[in-house]
Amino acid sequence: MLEGVDGVIHLAATKGGDLYDQFGGTVIATENLLAAMREAGVPRIVVTSSFAIYEYLHRWSWGCLDEDSPLVCNPESRDEYCQTKLLQEQLVRAAAKENGWRCAVLRPGVIFGRDNLWNGRVGMQIAPRWWVRTGTFAPLPLTYVENCAEAIVKAAEFEGEQREIVLNVVDDETPSQRAYLNELRRHMPKRPRIIPIPWTAMRALARTASLVNSVFFRGTAKVPGLFVPARLHARCKPMRYPNTRIKETLGWEPRYTWREGIVRAMADTAGGESAHPNSSAVGVKPQNAP
Amino acid sequence: MSLLVGHSEHSSSSHTVATPSVLPIEQPRTAVIGGGKISEQHLRALRAIEGVQLTGICDLSPALAQFTAERFGVAAWYTDYRAMLETGDVDVVHVLTPPATHNRIVRDCLENGHHVIVEKPIALSNAGFRDLWEVAASKGLRLVENHNYRFNEPVQKLESAVAAGAIGAVEEVEARMVLNIREGGRYADENLPHPSHQLPAGVIHEFISHLTYLLLHFLPEDKRDHMDCVRAAWRNHGGGGLFKYDDLDARLMAGAVHGRIRFSCRQWPDSLAITVRGTDGMGSAELFHPSVSLVKRRAGGQHLTPLVNSLANAAMLTRSGFGSVWGKIRNRTPYEGLNRYLRLTYNAFQSGGEPIVGFMDMDRTTGLIDELLAPENQI
Repeated sequence: MLEGVDGVIHLAATKGGDLYDQFGGTVIATENLLAAMREAGVPRIVVTSSFAIYEYLHRWSWGCLDEDSPLVCNPESRDEYCQTKLLQEQLVRAAAKENGWRCAVLRPGVIFGRDNLWNGRVGMQIAPRWWVRTGTFAPLPLTYVENCAEAIVKAAEFEGEQREIVLNVVDDETPSQRAYLNELRRHMPKRPRIIPIPWTAMRALARTASLVNSVFFRGTAKVPGLFVPARLHARCKPMRYPNTRIKETLGWEPRYTWREGIVRAMADTAGGESAHPNSSAVGVKPQNAP
Repeated sequence: MSLLVGHSEHSSSSHTVATPSVLPIEQPRTAVIGGGKISEQHLRALRAIEGVQLTGICDLSPALAQFTAERFGVAAWYTDYRAMLETGDVDVVHVLTPPATHNRIVRDCLENGHHVIVEKPIALSNAGFRDLWEVAASKGLRLVENHNYRFNEPVQKLESAVAAGAIGAVEEVEARMVLNIREGGRYADENLPHPSHQLPAGVIHEFISHLTYLLLHFLPEDKRDHMDCVRAAWRNHGGGGLFKYDDLDARLMAGAVHGRIRFSCRQWPDSLAITVRGTDGMGSAELFHPSVSLVKRRAGGQHLTPLVNSLANAAMLTRSGFGSVWGKIRNRTPYEGLNRYLRLTYNAFQSGGEPIVGFMDMDRTTGLIDELLAPENQI
């Protein structure tokens, strides 16, 4: 299948299901791809990794998260996605090194676009018209899907001296959670109500839950992800996300602002008609849906 | 038509049926083949059994083998199970690979002199099971299929109630499983079809052993070998080419006792339940949302009995509601029976005693599955 191919852009991963579903769709699928690349002698790979693999818990709030930031210290304390994406990146980099391939690892922040306007960093949808916003001022490391796609193509065409490049993909503007949700809400005919929970309160709740778990259950109790400090920090901690390195290395310039991204994501491909923003665009069914 | 499950002529052959006597293994060295979802449950349970040493894990994926070894503190990982078996560092092997691979891998393990614990179904036919049993018997080795749900707390409570005569003589047993696996997940993926779709009963073959051994377990012991009127309706109500069957409705008679097996991929909510009706009452155990309910003759006589039963079941529902929430917090899953099953099985290894799941349990289970699949019994 890979005979005659100059390079592979590897975007595949499984985001849903349990650890073993994600392991199969992300890690084992990558092992199989790498084996096929070895067999066919493909000399180049671009892989999309993730911001999920960085360490957040042991970082200062408002610190800078860039390509030199430490990776997650204790993957088991995080979710399955973090664990499997970390392994995926490690496998690709090891294989590239071993085989002398050109390798570009892109770590996008939060990719948004059609059918994917919601993300775990802004909060939870508890009902179609009730949103919980976990935090207020934390910047979102957004990258609009078309901007990100351009970065991926540029990485595939990269002919610089380095055989391996690792780059974060974040657009120029990183709006706050509040700004992003307000903009999203502005496009909806029936505006959802937002219940804000401040970052400090979330952090205190998670710390208390963790303490109770550790004292009374020796850490074995299962609690929602937002009450697990390592997971909460990965989702909501306010940090800064520079994109200097990718712009210098690839000459990439995000074409669309995040506001334009939202408009484009909500537009219908056929005729520019707005998709129902309360429906699949943000992953919520209208209240009267069957 | 009268069908025999358990085949008495074979059962009477003592050298075949008898579990071989083996020397106690004080500190069993255990290896696992297959690093998938169920291996996580086995390894968790094994870590809690005193004396067990986890010496190896094997999976075709090096990443998964290494990941599992590091996660559970297994001494070494492999991608070739034969290489692992030849290390000489293994007493017991857990075969946790897809069912179609069991025959080859279990046989290799036995021929290399290792005791085997294997996930259900142990074999794809009763003949396949008996072949493997012959190998185990000839080598003086244990061969045990996982019948974990028999050891879940609700099932054990129901078993005790039935054994104590709370519902009188058993008249009817129903084993029912609902798994909404057509909606999504690993079994519904058209692009990467799950290997179980290739099994004789399709994806239901993955689960039919549970229903079968649970049904058999609650039938009166003297009736388990004499079943007739086995009728099975295997259907694919959802259509399409991926699922061979998504529904089973099977009935049988064991003497005067009625048995029923139901499996559905299309209903909601998910459930695994065993219901036993007797001459003096009925009992039901639900495993996915653990609870046991009993309706029986109470001390208050015929007028007060319905009231007392209602109050008792209301109390049970309250307990099970809080129990479910507590179970979620404590991270308890329907695999709790696996811990008990493995502990008892390893106790047998360590003492040289009889395993908790023996030849007759496995022989009857595989035999009844054969009958359910036999073309002449399908409706």
